Amino acid sequence: MKRVLITCTIAWCLTAFGAAIAGAQTPAAAAAAGISGGDVIKGVDAPKPEDRAKGDPAGTVTGTVADIPVGDAKKGLTVADVVNAVGQNIIAVNFTWTLVAGFLVMFMQAGFAIVETGLARAKNANHTMMMNFMVYGVGMLAYWLIGFAIQEGGVGAVSNLGGTAPLNSEFAIHIFGKDWGLFGQKGAFLAGSTYDVGVMVMFLFQMVFMDTALTIVTGTAAERWKYSAFIISSFVMGAFTYPIYANWAWGGGWLATLGSSYGLGHGYADFAGSGVVHAVGGMTALVMAILIGPRIGKYDRDGKPNAIPGHDITLVLLGCFILAFGWFGFNPGSTLGAATNGNLRISSVAVNTMLAGMTGSFGAMYYMWLRYGKPDASMTGNGLLAGLVAITAPSGFVNPTGAVIIGLIAGVLVCLSCEFIERVLKLDDVVGAISVHGANGLWGVIAVGLFADGKSNYAGAWNGVNGSVTGLFYGDAGQLVAQLIGVATLVGFVFTFSFVVNVIIEAVWGHRVTAKVELEGLDIPEMGALGYPEFVLKGETLAVPAR
Amino acid sequence: MALAGVIVTFLGFLLAASSVGLSSSTGVRLVIVLVGIVISLAGIMGLINPAYQKNAVWNK
Repeated sequence: MKRVLITCTIAWCLTAFGAAIAGAQTPAAAAAAGISGGDVIKGVDAPKPEDRAKGDPAGTVTGTVADIPVGDAKKGLTVADVVNAVGQNIIAVNFTWTLVAGFLVMFMQAGFAIVETGLARAKNANHTMMMNFMVYGVGMLAYWLIGFAIQEGGVGAVSNLGGTAPLNSEFAIHIFGKDWGLFGQKGAFLAGSTYDVGVMVMFLFQMVFMDTALTIVTGTAAERWKYSAFIISSFVMGAFTYPIYANWAWGGGWLATLGSSYGLGHGYADFAGSGVVHAVGGMTALVMAILIGPRIGKYDRDGKPNAIPGHDITLVLLGCFILAFGWFGFNPGSTLGAATNGNLRISSVAVNTMLAGMTGSFGAMYYMWLRYGKPDASMTGNGLLAGLVAITAPSGFVNPTGAVIIGLIAGVLVCLSCEFIERVLKLDDVVGAISVHGANGLWGVIAVGLFADGKSNYAGAWNGVNGSVTGLFYGDAGQLVAQLIGVATLVGFVFTFSFVVNVIIEAVWGHRVTAKVELEGLDIPEMGALGYPEFVLKGETLAVPAR
Repeated sequence: MALAGVIVTFLGFLLAASSVGLSSSTGVRLVIVLVGIVISLAGIMGLINPAYQKNAVWNK
């Protein structure tokens, strides 16, 4: 009987909560209903202390009315107390979800570190690992100082996080009759009004994304990049290169408003960052591969490429698994919440992520098997990553069938791209980062414009345009155009910006170590210690003919 | 040649971005954007990269 009474009382509270919300919009209706926030709720009994002291193995008396904070103890529990508790619980769920997802993405740094170190030679293990280790701190410092402000300083209030309203200043110029947002202006040092709990969640989550982009570059330029030049280049990337494009796509900048301003679908849509994170990293990696040149021994005098195998394939594949695990923070976490606003779609995002990774690894493995007679381990790992990169932008907008197709194409594309870059462009990309993150980042951006099925619904709108993101195959060609403008920006602007920055660093500081240091291995000359001091390492470059 | 490549690459981006102001037709915008992407890729692969390949370690 008591349980029935409690149930009825809770039902009344929920009804009162709904009426209170309605009342906020129509005071007259609230008055008619006779409910206000100050009304005291009676008849809801908390569990007796002696019952709680017995323990609660069934979990039936834990989490009750006793756990709702009361604003005025003399007055007792009011409707306002219940409403506030409900609101705070929604935001608490979203905070927790986003922070835990951010922690997972942070752990991806470990995956990148061992993938890149495993694909480098043993004589450069310490140097490669240290670049991956310190890119975390270097990037974070740059992002805290200025990068976050440029990226998110004008994003406005994010409803899932309840309180990012202090980020309300976007610098814009007026072109073609519309405002084009270029960069944010609040949030430097996380000081002033941006000392805010919601802003802190946003900073942590966006910071680990930025660091992912930075660590992509170290893989391409490994085994010949001066450690000091790496620090300068990474700092500039974390402070400017990444945040500028991220602002345009995610911070309320001009790419995001292509839909509301010019009718191009829902504007540039990049759910978790195929373009913002991976293609920005991939384009910068391409810049570095061009500027820094190939490793000694990579090409013969006639331009024929030689394979330079990494020293530990077990590290490589373990790293790929860690990255795949971290991707469950990357993509589903990009809802920035798990409660309300259509965020239950996190399950779909997570499944799309794992499916595309799976077909990516299959695509690469079978391509290599058919073409070269063996299922190449490192390329299969890269296929997994390629599938994950490609599904990152579409993960929130496509169905599982679309995810499978996107991942499969990515797996084959990464192999074709690696061959093209090595044999046609004659660029030395130690880990294949340009292909994994650059080529497949661009493919992921385009895939949104093709495969978005119009079924997602994040609070009824995306980028300020009502309805769901819908690609060409489901009837909206405008979305594809918006995506392609994003691609053009990555290829034409991000590449150019990054190129100019790194040309300046090259002129002032120099990117590449000397030939003597490169042949000796960077561990001793650059870092002062070998990665594997008890190993006997070969004294000259290990180079075997390419297949 | 590298400088020319940088300029061409950036012009490709400008062309693609300005497509929204040059036409209100989705089809025309699509064509303009694709042309912009091709121009940028030509700047990177046809001008900038060959300029640096001349000085590549293996090519000296």
